[in-house]
Amino acid sequence: MKNSKKDVSRELHRLFGLTTDQVESVIGLALKGTPANSFCDIYFQAGSSEALSWDQGRLKGSSRDVVAGAGVRVVVGDKVGFWPIDKVDITGLKRAAKVARQIADYAQKEIVPPARAAAPQHNLYDVALSPTTVPLADRTALLKAIDAETRKHDARIQNVSVKLSVENYTIIVANSLGQFLVDERPLLHVSVSALAREGDRTELGSSGGGGRIPFAALANDQVWKQHAQLAAEQAILLLSAAPAPAGEMTVVLGSGWPGVLLHEAVGHGLEGDFNRKGTSAFARRMGERVASPLVTVIDDGTLADRRGSLNFDDEGTPTTQTVLIENGILKGYMHDRQNAQLMGMALTGNARRQSYAHLPMPRMTNTFMAGGQHDPEEIIRSVKYGLYAEAFGGGEVDITNGNYTFSATVAWLIEDGRKTRPVKGATLLGNGPKSLHHVSMVGNDMALDKGIGMCGKDGQRVPVGVGMSTVRIDNVTVGGSQN
Amino acid sequence: MKKQQLQDTAAFAVAEAKRLGATDCEIGIQAGESFQIGVRNGDVEELQGSQSRGLELTVFVGQRHATVSSADFRRRSLTRLIRDAIATAKVSDEDPSAGMAEPEHLAKEVPELDLYDPAIERITVADRIRIARQCEAAAMAADPRITQSSGASFSDNRGVVVLANSRGFVGSYAGSMVSISASVVAEADQQMQVGSWYSVSRKLAGLESPELVGKIAGEHAARQLGGRSVASQVVPVVFDPQMAARLVGQFVGAASGAHVYRKSSFLHDKFGQMVASPLVTIVDDPLIPGGLGSRPFDAEALPSRRREIVSEGKLAAHLIGVYAARMLKTAPNGQGTSNLYLQAGTLTPEEIIGSVQNGLYLTGVSGPGFNATTGDYSVGASGFWIENGKLAYPVEGITIASNVVAMFNGIEAIGNDLVFRGGTNAPTVKIRSMTIAGKASS
Repeated sequence: MKNSKKDVSRELHRLFGLTTDQVESVIGLALKGTPANSFCDIYFQAGSSEALSWDQGRLKGSSRDVVAGAGVRVVVGDKVGFWPIDKVDITGLKRAAKVARQIADYAQKEIVPPARAAAPQHNLYDVALSPTTVPLADRTALLKAIDAETRKHDARIQNVSVKLSVENYTIIVANSLGQFLVDERPLLHVSVSALAREGDRTELGSSGGGGRIPFAALANDQVWKQHAQLAAEQAILLLSAAPAPAGEMTVVLGSGWPGVLLHEAVGHGLEGDFNRKGTSAFARRMGERVASPLVTVIDDGTLADRRGSLNFDDEGTPTTQTVLIENGILKGYMHDRQNAQLMGMALTGNARRQSYAHLPMPRMTNTFMAGGQHDPEEIIRSVKYGLYAEAFGGGEVDITNGNYTFSATVAWLIEDGRKTRPVKGATLLGNGPKSLHHVSMVGNDMALDKGIGMCGKDGQRVPVGVGMSTVRIDNVTVGGSQN
Repeated sequence: MKKQQLQDTAAFAVAEAKRLGATDCEIGIQAGESFQIGVRNGDVEELQGSQSRGLELTVFVGQRHATVSSADFRRRSLTRLIRDAIATAKVSDEDPSAGMAEPEHLAKEVPELDLYDPAIERITVADRIRIARQCEAAAMAADPRITQSSGASFSDNRGVVVLANSRGFVGSYAGSMVSISASVVAEADQQMQVGSWYSVSRKLAGLESPELVGKIAGEHAARQLGGRSVASQVVPVVFDPQMAARLVGQFVGAASGAHVYRKSSFLHDKFGQMVASPLVTIVDDPLIPGGLGSRPFDAEALPSRRREIVSEGKLAAHLIGVYAARMLKTAPNGQGTSNLYLQAGTLTPEEIIGSVQNGLYLTGVSGPGFNATTGDYSVGASGFWIENGKLAYPVEGITIASNVVAMFNGIEAIGNDLVFRGGTNAPTVKIRSMTIAGKASS
C-alpha cells in the first residue's frame, strides 16, 4: 500500500506541481481566525473517464473527460464553507481557502473536536494496469463481440446497444489533522441493451456489470457472454409477457441486484445527515425493531473489487463493515465526519462525493442482507399466488415518510408454488420502517449484484453495490395495470 | 473569463485541430460562476460557490470521430488533448452518418433572447442570506404541525456559452439563473411528511417572493399528513401541473430521432398519426425571451425554432439531431428540447377536479416507472382522493399504472393554469382512467 507521506508528496507534485508544505500552508490559511476545532480538508482529483457507445452494429461514439481539480472545505461545527477549483495552483488554492473560511463568520464558538480516523489499511482494488490505458481496439473488439453474441441468441433481436465506461482517478486527501492520503481508483462498467421485435411487440432487455477490476476481468468470456445472454433472454421473455397484476400480494425477490430493495427501504433512511436533522423515518428509532428477525442488513465498503468499495472514504476515513439492522433491530447509521461528530458517534467511512467539485455526504457503499436458511426453490414453492421478480431497474425513497419504490423490469406469476407465466415490469412499493416486518423467508443463496448500481442524492451520483438472497415478502403493493 | 477570450480559445482549438489533421472540428465552451447559500433553523449552514469552466471538443477525420472534454484551457494542454482525440478518431470505426451539420443547416444568426440579468452580479451575501431566511421562516410558519426544517437555499449562477466549428459557425451568449427553495417537515400522529417548493428565474426580479415559496413548501408538508392507502381500483387521475410536466417530458423523450432509427419507442413510426387526444398540443419553443430553457442556437449549432411536437393529438415532429437526420435521410430540426410545454386548455383546476366523482388528484410520484420502448407506465403515487368533485383526504402508499399511449389518448381535460417553472411545463391534466394498486379491495 503506497501511502507514506512521501508517496503523497510525489503524486501531488506529479499531478499538480504542489508540495505538501504548500498544501499545509493552504490548510493553515483556511483555518486562520476560525474557532478552535474547526476542520479543513482539500480533496484533489486527477484522471480521466472514457466512454464508448456501440449501436446499430458499429461504434457510434467515443468520449474522454479529463479531470484535474481540487475542493477546499472548511467545517465549523454544523457549518460548511466550500470552494472547488478546476485550475489547481497555489494561487487558486489560497483564494479558495479564503472564500471557504468565510463560513466561520456565521458559526458558533463551541465546537466538538474532530475525530481522528485510523490509518487506511485496505488494498481492495490493486489494478496494475489502469483501464484507461487499454487500447481502443481491444475495447471496441469487446463491444463487437457482445453485439454478435447478443444477436446470436435469437433472430428476433433487432438491435444491440452497448456502453463501456472506464475511469481511473488518483485521489489525494489532505486535512487539518495532518493526514495526507493517496488512492488510485479504477472503475469499469459495461451495459448491454437488446431490442427484440415480434409482430407489433417491441421490448428492451438489459444487463451489465463491472467493478474496480482490470479490463481483463470484464473481457473474460464467461463474464461478458453472460451479460449478452441475459439481455437477450430478457428481451425475448418480455415479448410474451402479460401485463402485471395490481394490488397487495406476496412477492419473491431473486438474489443479487433485487437487493436494491434494501438500498431504498432502509439504506437512505439510515444515512447520518437525515437522522441528525431528524428528517428520516428511522430517526430516534435506534435499538427498535424495524424488520422481521430474519433480516440483517450490512453496509460494507471493504469488499475486494466491488463498485461501491473504497480503501478510504472521500474524507480519508478507512471504509468499514457497518451493521445497520441485526435480526430486525436497528443497530447503526452510516456517517461522514461532520454528522458522526455532531451526533457523538464513531466514524464509519461512508463520506462520499461525486467529484472534487461536490461536497461529501454520508452515502452507502455495498449494502446487502445476510443470507438465511431456505432453499430458493422451497421459497417459491411456499407461495400460493404471487410474483417472482429477479430483474430490476432503479428505485426511489422519500426518507421522511419512508415510502419507497423499486421497479421490476420483468417478473413471473407464481401460481400454486410454481413460476407459471412471465409478466411485464411493475413498480413495487413499500414503507421503510414497516414493510421489512413482512419478510417471511430468506434464502441461502446470498449474492451481490454484478456491478451496475449508481446512487443519486442531492444531485450527486456515486457508484454503489447491493446484494441479497432470494427473499419472500408478504403484503407488497405491486403496481401492475391488471386490476 | 471574458467572452472574447473564450471565443479566441474556441478559434484556436478549431484551427489547431485542422492543423493536426482533423477534417472537421466543433467545440463548445461553458464558463461561469455559481454561488449557493443554505440556511437551516435561521442559521447559515452552507456557503459554497465556484468559478468553473469546461470545454467539449469533437474532431472528425473523415467519417471517424472522437469527443474529449477538459477544464484545462492552456494552449499546450489543448494541443495535447486535440492530438489525442485525433489519434482516437483515427482508430475508431467509420460511420457514414457521422459528421457535423451541413453548412445550410447551421444557425445563421444569434437572436438576442434576454437570458442574462446583470442585477444578479450585484446581490450581496447578506441579501442572499436574508432572502433564504425569509423563505425558511415562511415555511415554518405555514402550519402549526411543521416541526423541522431541512433548510432553505438561495442559489445563482452566471455564465457564457460559446460554440464554434470548422464550418464557419461561431456563436456565444450569456445566461444567468437564480433560484430559491425551502424544504420542511410536518408531523402528526407519529407520521412525518416533507414538503418542498422553489422558484427559479433568469432574473432576480422574476423570482417569486420568498414568503410565497416558503408558504407553499409548508403547505405541501402539512397537507400530506394523515395520508393513507386506498383499495385497488380503476379511476380517473388528475395530474397536478408538476406531475403533468414530468409526464409530458417522458412522452416527448420517446419522440427522439435515435428512437426512430432504432425503432425503439412507441412513437417511432407514428409521425402524422394521432397519438393523443385532440385536446393535446405540445410545443417546444427555444425563442421565448427570458425563458428558462431558451437558447439562440442548440448544441449542434442548429438554429432555434419553435416546433409543435404534437398538434391537436397528431405527432407533428420527431426530435431529429444531425446524426439521426443522416440516418433517416432527412433534415435535422434539433435533438433536444428547450422550453417544452403542453398548451393550456380552458378549464380551471377546480373545474377539472370537480368533474371527478371518484378518483385521484396526483401530486407526487416515485420511481422511474416508464418504459419508452413500450410506453408502459407504473409509479408510486401520492396526492388526494377526490370524492364528488372535492379533495377528500390525502393518499399515499399506492401505485398508478397504465400505458402512456392509452393515457395520452385518454386526456379528457386540460387546465388553464400553465405556468413556466422550468424547462418542461404543463397545466393540470385529467386522464380518463388508470389502475390504482393499493390495499386488497375487500
